[in-house]
Amino acid sequence: MESIQPHLADIWLAIIGFFLLYYAVTDGFDLGVGIISIFSRNDAERGVLMASIENTWHDHQTWLLLLGGMLFGAFPRFYSIVLSSLYIPILVMLFGLIFRGVAFEFRALSHRKLLWGLSFGFGSLLVSLAQGFALGGLFGGLTVQQGKFEGGAWGWLSPYSTLVAAGLISGYVMLGANYLILKTNGDVRKRSRRYSLAASLCTLFVSVCVHAWTTAKYPRMAAKWLASPEGYFMAGFLALTVIAFVMFFRSLRKGPDYGPLVWNALIILFSFVDVSIGMYPDMIPNFASAPMTVHEAAASPGTLTFMLAATVILLPVILAYTAYKNHVFRGKVRESDDGIECKP
Amino acid sequence: MDSLTNPILLSRIQFAVTALFHILWPVLTIGLSIFLVILEALHMKTGNEEYRRHARFWTRLFLLNFTVGVVTGIPMEFQFGTNWSVFSAAGGDFFGHILGFEAAMAFMLEATFLGIMIFGRERVSPRMHLFATSMVALGGTLSAFWIMVASSWMHTPTGGYFENGRFVITDHMAAVFNPDMPWGVSHMWVACLETSLFVIGGISAWYLKKGRFTDFFLRSFKMAVIAAIVVTPLQIWLGDGSGRAVYEHQPTKLGAIEAHWQTNPPGEGAPWKILAWPDRAQQKNLWEIDIPCGLSLLLTHSATGRVRGLTDFPKEDQPPVLVPYYAFRVMLAGGGTLLLITIWTLLAWRKGDLTSGRIAGRKRLLTAWMAAIPLSYLAMEAGWVTREVGRQPWMLYGLLRTHDSATSIHAATVGASLLTFSVVYPLLFALFLLFARQIIARGPEEEPPRMPDSRVAPRPNGIHTKTD
Repeated sequence: MESIQPHLADIWLAIIGFFLLYYAVTDGFDLGVGIISIFSRNDAERGVLMASIENTWHDHQTWLLLLGGMLFGAFPRFYSIVLSSLYIPILVMLFGLIFRGVAFEFRALSHRKLLWGLSFGFGSLLVSLAQGFALGGLFGGLTVQQGKFEGGAWGWLSPYSTLVAAGLISGYVMLGANYLILKTNGDVRKRSRRYSLAASLCTLFVSVCVHAWTTAKYPRMAAKWLASPEGYFMAGFLALTVIAFVMFFRSLRKGPDYGPLVWNALIILFSFVDVSIGMYPDMIPNFASAPMTVHEAAASPGTLTFMLAATVILLPVILAYTAYKNHVFRGKVRESDDGIECKP
Repeated sequence: MDSLTNPILLSRIQFAVTALFHILWPVLTIGLSIFLVILEALHMKTGNEEYRRHARFWTRLFLLNFTVGVVTGIPMEFQFGTNWSVFSAAGGDFFGHILGFEAAMAFMLEATFLGIMIFGRERVSPRMHLFATSMVALGGTLSAFWIMVASSWMHTPTGGYFENGRFVITDHMAAVFNPDMPWGVSHMWVACLETSLFVIGGISAWYLKKGRFTDFFLRSFKMAVIAAIVVTPLQIWLGDGSGRAVYEHQPTKLGAIEAHWQTNPPGEGAPWKILAWPDRAQQKNLWEIDIPCGLSLLLTHSATGRVRGLTDFPKEDQPPVLVPYYAFRVMLAGGGTLLLITIWTLLAWRKGDLTSGRIAGRKRLLTAWMAAIPLSYLAMEAGWVTREVGRQPWMLYGLLRTHDSATSIHAATVGASLLTFSVVYPLLFALFLLFARQIIARGPEEEPPRMPDSRVAPRPNGIHTKTD
């Protein structure tokens, strides 16, 4: 136990990173399906879109709660500063989650299918928008002094965060379209391929811009490119991201239906690692004074050890039953997946 | 109007509104999911299709209730960071990972298996389906456990030391098993069972009164009555134990709950004020009706046991008195009434009135069961008000004050979010009632049509028999 003590904060950063990635990919495609549903031609088509995620969006959303709780536990100071400084986007996200969350059940019970279908679509859009601005606000730097947020309520709103939000939305749409390619047939699948192509081009363009802009305004990150070995790692993961993008475009033209989603997930993984190396060890970039590092933000070693022991047992269990469930619901959406328990 | 510009007060109101609203739903989720496990197991064991029909009917209400519970629960976790960031940084060493454990052990289990329970009937075996339903129920109960661990630690923070505005945990087990935890967890979990059984019994009573599906709902009504025999007295006993834990560890909270101002001198008993009008400004009750030595007897089981009064503590360390005092009495009256309804029903059962021919004649009894639905929720909410207002002025009892725990944000920002909650939540409530009414009005589905079964061949004389 002695030997891992100095690395506890880093281990927890990696675990939290995994939670974030898992959430971003899985709820990312749920939210993307939601945004795409705004453009559905009729109610039956929207029904197919909602049915494709109906049995599983719930546990994807729970990863956000897991992320929030574990972040609170492992990095309490980070949690307290980030959530209080991003008050408006976080609250908007929560209201968006309410509208998305009730839409499934209310739509099943109500005669106003369109109303609740739109609650699903615009709720998802609101959540994505709020998450984008929150992420942009954080990367854009928070004004922190003596462990407290000192910026204004609208400090997260900037041209930079707007660009990040646009990128996140198109990224979610790309994921959602790729998920629909996997889960649906016929016309919906055909159109999803078109949506995926458009959204991926848009995502590619915006991420290149965000990447360049971030490197330009963040000297510590720029310096990493010249450092060894970080520079090599970053270049390596950037190359992997580019390869994954190429493979993704190929899989969109031909190949099995799971191709685009898998390559999409790998693009996110590689670029996420790339950015993380560039950021490390900063958790909260701050351009006015010193940033908050991983080690400053972490909870006490005792707590981190206790949490780690519990997580080492819990996480495999969670992944095991999640894998079982994905196995149960494998394949295309079925008629019988439309909630036979609740609808006579 | 000073209050509207005070962001801390607005944050407190927002937390109170969102918490009191949220807790309405998990209580039924937890109790009803256990009921669904019982129904499904009975169906599997007896093969009686009635249990399956029951499971399908109650699942519809369960799902609607679960939906509202989840969407109103997510803001609870995030509000600690948005509105109570000083507390989050101070108590995060323990409080944070307990919320993390709640998500990892409870919510994840619940959410994942809910998908199989609701949508997987055609895709998994009946045994696996029963397992999935059990995991949903287990997840609900575990979430109650962890959230009550977190809440009770705010009441009796143990397992470490408070230094430089931060609580550092040295003994995690001591923090989890803090003095308030066993009572907090059990009292709340049994409250979930109690509220749920009165919802099940109350809805069944409505049908019985109307004479609709009488045989069907007599079954669930009797199941609720049987559970009530155990649960209603058990809850009162747990409440008593919980009260004695408060007496031992949170003297100011106890003083407020009982409007007890002066410590009783040695050799004299502390009276129990059944009804009083406490005045915090004058530090006394304007009038009171009391039972001599009652409080000493209740709390110490001795007529002259010492019970510390509020005036032993500086005024700034005392909680508000009027609200906990009356909230406690509402809870007590509610729990007592539920016990009386249970006893009344048992007498009716002994007389043989709980049969399909005679139950509809017991109109008053059935109305009482229907009224018990809001009453059980009211008692539960009053219990929470007693518990949390009694904790004031502390966020972490004795260590960190509530007004030192809040984020410094503008009143306008908090006001805007509070206003949005105040619009969205009543809307959710109205929609829930609308859809619940729709589900109840429709009732359980009719007997499933007999499936054409290849093994059953009709005989000319109309008697069916198995061919093998």
